Amino acid sequence: MEHKYTTVTAISRYIKFKLEADDNLKTVYIRGEISNFKAHTNGHLYFSLKDEFSKINAIMFNSMTKKLAFKPIEGTKVLVKGHITMYEGSGTCQVIVDNMQEDGIGNLYLAFEKLKQKLEMEGLFKAEHKRKIPSMPNKIGVITAPTGAAIRDIISTIKRRYPICQILLFPSLVQGEQAALDIVKNIEKANTYDLDVLIVGRGGGAIEDLWPFNEEIVARAIYNSNIPIISAVGHEVDFTIADFVADLRAPTPTGAAEMAVLSINDLINNLNQIKIRLNESIYKNLNYKKVLLDAVKNSFVIKRPMMMYESKKQFIDLIIQKLNKTIYDNLNNSKIKLEKYRHHYLLLNPTILYKEKILTLNSLIDKLEIMNPLNTLKRGYTLALQNNQIVKNIHDLKENDRLDVKFKNGVVTTIITKIKEEE
Amino acid sequence: MEKEKTFEDKMQELENIVGELESGEIDLESSIDKYTKAMKLVKECDTKLKNVEEKISKIVTENGQLEDFEIEE
Repeated sequence: MEHKYTTVTAISRYIKFKLEADDNLKTVYIRGEISNFKAHTNGHLYFSLKDEFSKINAIMFNSMTKKLAFKPIEGTKVLVKGHITMYEGSGTCQVIVDNMQEDGIGNLYLAFEKLKQKLEMEGLFKAEHKRKIPSMPNKIGVITAPTGAAIRDIISTIKRRYPICQILLFPSLVQGEQAALDIVKNIEKANTYDLDVLIVGRGGGAIEDLWPFNEEIVARAIYNSNIPIISAVGHEVDFTIADFVADLRAPTPTGAAEMAVLSINDLINNLNQIKIRLNESIYKNLNYKKVLLDAVKNSFVIKRPMMMYESKKQFIDLIIQKLNKTIYDNLNNSKIKLEKYRHHYLLLNPTILYKEKILTLNSLIDKLEIMNPLNTLKRGYTLALQNNQIVKNIHDLKENDRLDVKFKNGVVTTIITKIKEEE
Repeated sequence: MEKEKTFEDKMQELENIVGELESGEIDLESSIDKYTKAMKLVKECDTKLKNVEEKISKIVTENGQLEDFEIEE
């Protein structure tokens, strides 16, 4: 039996023709996720569109990419408009993409970027607004769902690391439309409690589920909180606006708990270290002082205190010696002087000093002798005396007065019988 | 009323004292005073850490009351 064999090219062309002829495939609208994304240097974008079960190749030519409103990356969920064709070279059928936009969540991403930019411009993310997270808090507030892995991880981690701190849970919605407002309400409520730190977050989930943490009101509530806030949203890879504005971003709720408290065992170790260092340093200090003291104790002065005096004593001895010598010398000098005087001529012949005086005196006596009134009596004159006073004037006398007349060799007492004055 | 020193304050003070003592630039009386003070702080911190009185987590209810909170396993 004869068969008519056709070529691969021919059959491929036929399939391609059939495909392109199908009205249903001339314009298709597909929802899918970008995968195997590759931007070629010539500007064409090669990728696959996939969903849970299937995958189809796609190509977007550089003439079309100019209209793109977003930057497609691996995993972006997209809405695609195009047509189906087959690439004969590999025998694969593919979507030629005319237009592509982000699916729902992609729009969320845009909103995220926009809000992030806005808040960043306002300075909400600045490091200077970040409050310090205390490492040994007494009370920790947690804003998250009261059920689920997040709160369980947080509580078990804190209890394991630092069981002496009190946890206050503020149960909150963490997904859905009401969640953002509920989180804000709880942040405000938590601020009325005496808390050292606040953990705000939830466990992992789809990006829509984490969305409340990308809401502006939540960002502002975190910014306005007086209590330092650690954000803990989703997994390591999930970044939310809350993470940017929080004082500290934790990769996971467990991470937040680890950041909120030190490990009590580490603290005990630290304390023990400090104790050891204290004892060592005080011992060292005391020992050092002891060494100093010993050095002093063993010093010459303390051991042989008389040493200090010996030199002084010597000095004093010297002074005394000098003093004695001086006194002796002085005395000796005086003695020599005295000896000298003792043999002085005048001392030996003291009368020399007054012999002359006697001569002078005698001549004076002679002179006085000449002046003596009694000598006039010797020459025959008398003196008239009354009451032993020489009478010089007859007016001093009256009749019947007694009058003594002194002679050279005696006195005659007379009575005045008559007074006669003469010119 | 002056707020009681926090654990962190005390640890910080301890670090400072240890640093001072280790520097050796301190006279004997002060070093003994500091040492005594530090040992008191160590004791206080130790007591706080070792008196592990596990605090029960609380949940803040809608009307602001605190109730014990146990994780549902």
